[in-house]
Amino acid sequence: MTVYKPEIAKIKKVEQLTKTERLFDIELLSGKSLDHQPGQFVEVYVFGVGEAPISISSEPSKQPTFQLCVRAVGNVTNALHNKRAGEKIGIRGPYGKGFEYEYFIGKDILFIAGGLGLAPLRSFIRAVLNSRGDYGKVYILYGARRPQELLFRDELKEWEARKDVEYHATVDVGDETWQGNVGVITTLFPDIRFDPRKTQAIIIGPPVMYRFVINELKNRRVPDENIWISLERKMKCGVGKCGHCQINNVYVCQEGPVFNYKQIKSLPEAI
Amino acid sequence: MKSYLVSKGDFLELIDGMIENGKEVVAPVKQENQANFKRIKSTKDILWSGPQTVISPKGFVFPQEEELIEYEVEDGIWVGSKVEAKSTVLLGIHPCDINGIALLDKVFAEKNLDENYLKKRESATIIGVECLTPCSPESFCYRKGSVLPWDGFDLFLTDVGDDFFVEVGSEAGKTLISGISRKTIQSDAKKLKKIREKRDNLFAKKQRKLKPKLEELPKLLKENYDSPIWDERGAKCFGCGSCNMVCPTCYCFDVRDCVEINLKKGSRSRFWDGCMLTDFTRIASGEIFREERGARLRHRTNRKDFYLFEKWGRTFCTGCGRCGKACLTKIVDPLDIENELYGRKGRR
Ligand SMILES: Cc1cc2nc3c(=O)[nH]c(=O)nc-3n(C[C@H](O)[C@H](O)[C@H](O)COP(=O)(O)OP(=O)(O)OC[C@H]3O[C@@H](n4cnc5c(N)ncnc54)[C@H](O)[C@@H]3O)c2cc1C
Ligand code: SF4
Ligand code: SF4
Ligand code: FES
Repeated sequence: MTVYKPEIAKIKKVEQLTKTERLFDIELLSGKSLDHQPGQFVEVYVFGVGEAPISISSEPSKQPTFQLCVRAVGNVTNALHNKRAGEKIGIRGPYGKGFEYEYFIGKDILFIAGGLGLAPLRSFIRAVLNSRGDYGKVYILYGARRPQELLFRDELKEWEARKDVEYHATVDVGDETWQGNVGVITTLFPDIRFDPRKTQAIIIGPPVMYRFVINELKNRRVPDENIWISLERKMKCGVGKCGHCQINNVYVCQEGPVFNYKQIKSLPEAI
Repeated sequence: MKSYLVSKGDFLELIDGMIENGKEVVAPVKQENQANFKRIKSTKDILWSGPQTVISPKGFVFPQEEELIEYEVEDGIWVGSKVEAKSTVLLGIHPCDINGIALLDKVFAEKNLDENYLKKRESATIIGVECLTPCSPESFCYRKGSVLPWDGFDLFLTDVGDDFFVEVGSEAGKTLISGISRKTIQSDAKKLKKIREKRDNLFAKKQRKLKPKLEELPKLLKENYDSPIWDERGAKCFGCGSCNMVCPTCYCFDVRDCVEINLKKGSRSRFWDGCMLTDFTRIASGEIFREERGARLRHRTNRKDFYLFEKWGRTFCTGCGRCGKACLTKIVDPLDIENELYGRKGRR
């Protein structure tokens, strides 16, 4: 056996979320559940094409089915978009360190998602909302470039409607259908009140977003140890060998992709 | 483990016998004007004391291209592990390269066991040989504490005249020479000690000095993270990755698919990759996390003598000198870099 051998899995369902993103329901042929933490990822293998690291978008569960939300950008992701329900792919993982969500029990949580960052964050959001009573206040801030790029639109509506969640969305560029906020994600901050010491801020988005959002959180006096981020790097193995994901001395596929800000702030190559 | 004496004649006869019986024996041989590791037909071909081979022998346990898994897609999908190896004797391996392999052993056996590597490693018998004169003008193994093997050999030979003084590093090694080995006596140990003292003196005289202390290298590199050296040297780098390819301790790899024309069968293979290459950190959004060549040179150097040194308590540069020789613009040699860092800023 080698760590590089994938398990065979079946695509159960494919849903087009936007022009470039699709949501895949996947089940391991072994019938086992993935048993993942929110924030962890799998290596998805399209036979004959290659592998790509993809975050698990569904909440942790004992069910055999899990979900991946994939943007088509290159060889593997486009090949995956060409797959239909019933077709088979390979899965390795779950890999990496995700959110140990027991740690967050009883705390206020501020979720901040930029673009495709909602895909991994959704796993944690759903876990929290499923046992809503275990947590303090819950805020969700979500930013996309354009209204038609918003992911999981039905769920966004539910979150917006919930009384026990404070939900805000923004787009960089609006259109005639959009009545919400226009501007980058940091423009949502003046609208929300939170207790910086009681709140755990969890940010997932494109690399450029982190600096601005963390600055904003620092202005609001959120301590470093209350800030959590997930970092994307090139990954070729997922098991701490190939060297591609290294940030200074840290292997993102092993010690990340989820990091506490305090832990990586001192790494010059991190953000 | 124990040491023995083995007459050179007996030893070579033993190896030639193995070759005759079909055993694959690999050793440094002359190829055009260079030295390289190759399967040998007779021990007569072996280059015992240099020149140094252009590429380290790591490829025999960690091939430049290596299949990891194979699959077939036909009425369902079948995937198989490609964990295979031919039993091989690696003969005439210098200490810097034995140590290189010993370091690879650590990383590939660290959790998530890399069976593809380990299988090849287990199937290799490593017979090292001590360098009594520096095998290359660029080498600085003495400065890295790497003139003797740390670990990872089955037998280690030192030329003491008509005999090899043989250190045994494994049961397999012991068995191999059991028919020809003689016990050593005190005078043999004394003789060896003398030879090594002479070797130390020669290496101390001939090899370039490392100005900072070996154990202080992680600290030196940490303090000099923002040194202008990286960009100054990086500006001259071609980004060719030769320094990664020749290095016995570079083990980063890419993984790619190879499909047969009928599209029904295929495999996934890994290929040596290099942190000095531009695309090494490029992700699908187009972002490159170490875009500057200086940043990549820093990463390469830090992996050897800071990050992995700190993690494993041992330098990951065994001082073979190959990168310094391979680099056309002469910027990559770790000893050179470390001396320059040490000398700058009016330190000490
Ligand atoms: C931990 C982790 C979690 C991830 N989670 C997810 C996830 O949940 N969902 C998801 O969709 N992705 C996710 N990604 C990103 C995903 O892994 C990459 O998009 C994927 O590996 C791309 O592989 P590919 O073979 O399709 O692209 P490749 O064929 O490798 O194509 C990418 C190459 O083509 C070029 N390229 C192609 N398209 C573009 C473009 N649009 N812009 C710029 N350059 C381009 C780039 O130069 C790049 O080198 C995650 C990555 C990591 C590390
Ligand atoms: S860094 Fe250079 S000198 Fe050191 S082991 Fe690698 S190739 Fe040899
Ligand atoms: S340091 Fe030298 S050998 Fe290495 S990539 Fe640059 S030019 Fe090539
Ligand atoms: S992805 Fe290969 S080491 Fe992290």
